[in-house]
Amino acid sequence: MPPKPKIAFFDFTSCEGCQLTVVDALQTHLGLLDLVEIVQFREAMSERGEDYQIAFIEGSCTRESDEARLRAIRAQAAVVIALGACAHLGGVNSMKNRWPIENVQTYVYGKHGRERYESYPARPISAVIEVDYAIPGCPIDRLEFIRFVQKLLQGRKPKLPDYPLCVECKLAENACLNKLGQPCLGPVTLAGCDAVCPSYGDGCEACRGFAPEANFAHMREILQGHGLSEVEIDAQFTMFNAYQLKAMGANAPLSTGAGNGSRRRTADAEKLPSSTFAAPKET
Amino acid sequence: MSLYILPKERLPGFVDNLRAGFRVVGPVRTETGFAFDTIHSADELALDYPTTILPPKKYLLPQRETLFTFHTGTSEQGARQIDVQPAFEDVQPTVILGVHTCDMHGIMLYDKVFTEGYRDEHYIARREQTYIVGIECLRPCDEASFCKDMGTLTAPPVYDLHMTAVDGMYLIDTGTEKGERLLLSNVEVHLATTEDIRRLSQTLSAKWPHFRHRLKMTKDQIPSLMTINYGSNIWDTLGERCLACGSCTNVCPTCFCFDVQDEMDLNMSEGQRSRIWDSCQLHEFALVAGGHNFRGSKASRVRHRMMRKGKYIQQVHSLTGCTGCGRCQRACLVDITIPGTLNALYDEMQIDLNPATGA
Repeated sequence: MPPKPKIAFFDFTSCEGCQLTVVDALQTHLGLLDLVEIVQFREAMSERGEDYQIAFIEGSCTRESDEARLRAIRAQAAVVIALGACAHLGGVNSMKNRWPIENVQTYVYGKHGRERYESYPARPISAVIEVDYAIPGCPIDRLEFIRFVQKLLQGRKPKLPDYPLCVECKLAENACLNKLGQPCLGPVTLAGCDAVCPSYGDGCEACRGFAPEANFAHMREILQGHGLSEVEIDAQFTMFNAYQLKAMGANAPLSTGAGNGSRRRTADAEKLPSSTFAAPKET
Repeated sequence: MSLYILPKERLPGFVDNLRAGFRVVGPVRTETGFAFDTIHSADELALDYPTTILPPKKYLLPQRETLFTFHTGTSEQGARQIDVQPAFEDVQPTVILGVHTCDMHGIMLYDKVFTEGYRDEHYIARREQTYIVGIECLRPCDEASFCKDMGTLTAPPVYDLHMTAVDGMYLIDTGTEKGERLLLSNVEVHLATTEDIRRLSQTLSAKWPHFRHRLKMTKDQIPSLMTINYGSNIWDTLGERCLACGSCTNVCPTCFCFDVQDEMDLNMSEGQRSRIWDSCQLHEFALVAGGHNFRGSKASRVRHRMMRKGKYIQQVHSLTGCTGCGRCQRACLVDITIPGTLNALYDEMQIDLNPATGA
């Protein structure tokens, strides 16, 4: 039997929920461990092997000091896979990209935040290193993860759906949330999650990224029909995909422009309510 | 065939008896509407349902189905071997109750598509064990339906039994001998009298005025309307609006395209080939090796769907490609409708053909 491929998991700015999903997947699909050898997985084991061939990376790149570590992983691994929305898209971390980074640092970490915590606009790891594949989602779908690894080990190109989520909603015979007056980004979002959120009555928030043919203009019209304001629609669009939209520049389908979010908030940064995650008031 | 009378109060007993030997499916109420689902007791059955998101086609061609499993190995001589084992998922004696006349037209097309030419053994296995029990539509589902235009307001010869609610009873027409046996062996019915038949005719005549025409042209004119308008600008307009979400085709009772995929099990020596509904509205549908896409633009795909519904299916199978059920209109978020499109094309033609405008 040929030696098992060695795989490693790494995390950057993220909640580690995708790695937890991997742990979860391994519990139900133990057979996967017969096919691969995991040499590094901080979330699940203490050993730290550096001789891996396949690297799964969770999290976005949100500070300069992340870059060297990403490059080192790329230099070692034959295959690099972005694991989940943060690594794939920038994810929720990239919401901050809509405001000046100085304001964000002050808002989150208090008035000395800029001196104490390093931060810059959040980016998908593909903005720093070459990435071979991405497993989308927030978090990833564990069955999709298993299928992905199987295909990879067979030497086949793992293939993900390139069509909108509506396909999976229809196959599940879900009532269309947009038809019921509830905002759902399914029509512009990549499928592959089996429409898990709409199946439980929650509108899609595009955590898997936008479909290649996303019709943003008409998606906005649909959301306007639900009574959403332009700012609210921008907020929906940028929840996971602020980095992608900002990269579209003037073509971004945002009413307020990709870069400046809410002007009010930027202007009145000092008057902002303190965030749940803000550092204790410094006196 | 014969016409029988089933008093309405005997319907629950009939359903219960059927359930002893069959999976009984029919329209049931959901949180937001209606859907075909397995019936566990007769009171779940909502025979006066307006419409469902998916037509009953899902019981004949499931959304996903395994076609065969395979096992790869090595023979004693060292040659690579693949054993293939056919799979037949979800093949069981089934009665589909309460099928509207439009959906029966859809099933009639499916029967032709999957049994003539290439005989699809998976479809046939399922179809052979399925009884179709229709229900006569006495009022339109809603504003989206245009069955009257498409000639699908009467039951086609695809049913085993067909029920019409008249006062306190169902008049049941037997379309097949096995349907008649199914009825007679599961419930006590009596033959319709001349008076019953007169009341049935009255009910059937009385229903027609409730259905309105939505098309400006007759059904027979549609194929040539499509031919003339292959180069129309309307396709660009519709393509710009289209979300390319595939909802219209997935809910369509006459759409039958599927994709085939292989998947390996974790042991890496076994796996299965399955098929899943596909849609010509999706970008990848007409993408071929080498990267060329025969219908890369949304406009070309919207046109293709309309051509299928209005012309191609009729040409190839001599059956209607659109049943007028209205499901695609209900599913579309950007108001692309078959009647709207056909009428717009027809209007353009009228202007062109008007000698006063010099065309």
